[in-house]
Amino acid sequence: MLPGAEEAVWFDGVSARRQVVMVEPSPDGRALRFGREVWPLDRLRRIEGEGLVLAHLTGEGDELPHDPARLVLAEGPLAEWVRGAAPALDRRDLRRGTWGRVAGRVALAGVALAVILFVFLPRISDLLADQMPLEQEVAFGDAVVRQVQVWLGDEEVPLCRKPEGLAALEKMERRLTEGQGLTYDIELSVMDHEMVNAFAAPGGRIVILRGLLDEAEAAEEVAGVLAHEIGHVEARDPVRLAFRSAGSAGILALVLGDVTGGAVIGLLGDHLLSASYTREAEAAADEFAFALLARTAVGTEGLAAFFERIEGMGGDLPEILSTHPASGNRAEAAREAGGGAVEPVLTAAEWQALRGICG
Amino acid sequence: MDHAGEMRVAYRGDPAKLFPLALGTGVLGVVTLGIYRFWAKARIRRHVWSKVQLGEDGFEFTGTGLEMFLGFLMAVVALAVYLAVVQVILFAFGIRFIFDPQNEMEEIAQGVSIGLSFLAVLPLMLFAAYRARRYKLARTRFRGIRFAMETAAGGYMLRGLFYLALTVGTAGLLWPLMTFRLEAFMTERTWYGTARFRQGGRWTALYGAYFHVLVGMGLLVLAVVFGAMEEGWMAGLLGFVGVIWGMVGLILYRVRAFAYLMSHKEMDGGLGFRAEPRAGSVVWLYLKGVFIVGLLGGIASAVIFAPLGTLMVGIEEASELVQIEIAVLGVLSYLLMLTVFGALTLVFVSQPILGHFVGSVTVTGAEALEVVRQRVSDRGADAEGLADALDMGGAF
Repeated sequence: MLPGAEEAVWFDGVSARRQVVMVEPSPDGRALRFGREVWPLDRLRRIEGEGLVLAHLTGEGDELPHDPARLVLAEGPLAEWVRGAAPALDRRDLRRGTWGRVAGRVALAGVALAVILFVFLPRISDLLADQMPLEQEVAFGDAVVRQVQVWLGDEEVPLCRKPEGLAALEKMERRLTEGQGLTYDIELSVMDHEMVNAFAAPGGRIVILRGLLDEAEAAEEVAGVLAHEIGHVEARDPVRLAFRSAGSAGILALVLGDVTGGAVIGLLGDHLLSASYTREAEAAADEFAFALLARTAVGTEGLAAFFERIEGMGGDLPEILSTHPASGNRAEAAREAGGGAVEPVLTAAEWQALRGICG
Repeated sequence: MDHAGEMRVAYRGDPAKLFPLALGTGVLGVVTLGIYRFWAKARIRRHVWSKVQLGEDGFEFTGTGLEMFLGFLMAVVALAVYLAVVQVILFAFGIRFIFDPQNEMEEIAQGVSIGLSFLAVLPLMLFAAYRARRYKLARTRFRGIRFAMETAAGGYMLRGLFYLALTVGTAGLLWPLMTFRLEAFMTERTWYGTARFRQGGRWTALYGAYFHVLVGMGLLVLAVVFGAMEEGWMAGLLGFVGVIWGMVGLILYRVRAFAYLMSHKEMDGGLGFRAEPRAGSVVWLYLKGVFIVGLLGGIASAVIFAPLGTLMVGIEEASELVQIEIAVLGVLSYLLMLTVFGALTLVFVSQPILGHFVGSVTVTGAEALEVVRQRVSDRGADAEGLADALDMGGAF
């Protein structure tokens, strides 16, 4: 039994006039008829509103595949009948090809972000890094080292200053740098922290963490690691990394809502310790180290031994191992590049003093 | 219709209907790591818009979650480029001041370059504010006819920066000028079908509404003067009173500026508005809402965290796996609690205040609607994506 005709409000989608129309079911009970319109029940869609607000699915249209016209039925027998008889009132229709479009846009966004992060940023960072004056770089390096000190521990991690240890460190530094024609004035320090690590900060600052001294079994091993870090310093790798971190921090700020730029130094500290220079930069630093160790008669045996020792270490990899999955090859490469120490870097007493630099 | 051609605007929202919707969509948002928030926004707007009635007819929101999601993706890419470039360049110039200020000039420069990072986002926020309003209007319909706003986000951004600089430069004295001109800029580019809106009135008329903010600022200036004269007690008292006075003044300003600007808008054909919101009611609705949210939210937190609390007993002896499970449960409970508070705030604070503002408006000259015709649809540009990426969405 079909309901009778009822008055309803009709907005024709062309003018804002409120029109009152008589709406009735078509005789076969499969459509609504009013004025000159016939709306099949299966193409009716419900719009949120008072009473039963109906739209007509056309497949055309704008953000919705509906005709802009709306028919508003008051609650009553006709609205009740439509609710029961229309099969897809609450369906949310999507145009064909929508999911393809979505996948396309998601992929595009991913690619664009990747290009920015991995191609564009490195280029512009390197460009700007190369133009940075040396004095600024030194000041920046000091700030980064301070930041790492704060960042590594609950309280600020102190630099180790026992005089005998400093003297040994100084001797090692002179051995590696004197007469080598380095651009940077290298400044070594030891931080009192158990992590087995060493890193180069901008401005020629190289920091050894105490854990590395504990782990190493000879002064030549430490000298080898230092030579590698000096390689980074001379190639200006830390400054480049700083600029890249600045760019990444910009993107990070987007996600975290931090627009003060304070993320830069924190991020850089993290990068210097754990993440990484490029594979090419690491290889270049190795090459530099092998040559330097050979020239200064320290020999590469120490560095090779150190590579082998820390290869099996789990947990956080020190910077020196970060981008190289196969450090066994590096030990071999180091051995091939030059032999054992011709002349010891430190005396046994000095080596003990260096290991005890933190007291 | 009370008088000839007058129509009341009303908000018929029902907390019992909105709350399940807000909570349900909020939980889906947590489960989908925030992706669902666009669909949540669309569903809540469809609901809220339909409850706003002019005369006997409701409004309709036609925006979709999908288009907002796609807009967000687009905005993130654009923002990533912008922020990455700006950040690297600022870093290159700022670095000399930030880490090694040599003298007072460079210390000032240090502050400036840190401030610049924020300023770099400010134009985008203005741009996004206009875009967001344009999108909302482009997806709003009344009697089947579309609203729209012209493409002018760039012009809005430039004017916004100019008036902001003026306002800051005059220590806030020219704020009403900014309020008026920016609102007028948007209003004059707003359309309902083929009918255009205009902003009447004068910016100087807003000073009546701004009076109490000025009083608050005056008291603060006095406090500084007394402070300079080493009258610490007097300075403290004046400062305290000045801050409170200024804050209440700001609420009054927002409400009264809305009333003035709304009452002086006009649509082609002589359709106008009369807005009579009351600041007292807004404050009362706010305080009442916060009280209800605190009460219900407190009960909800107890219900959510109580089971977790019993699990925590004996956690020391539990295996590592169980400890991780409990930690995950803790994070989920926390997110759930945030969702509950968000939904409660929407229902008991935002909705009543919106209702008050909407209900305070009467439309005059409603015959003008009879001749309005449809307009073509607007693609909506980034569908609010920029505003969302900059995290500056309002309650609705």
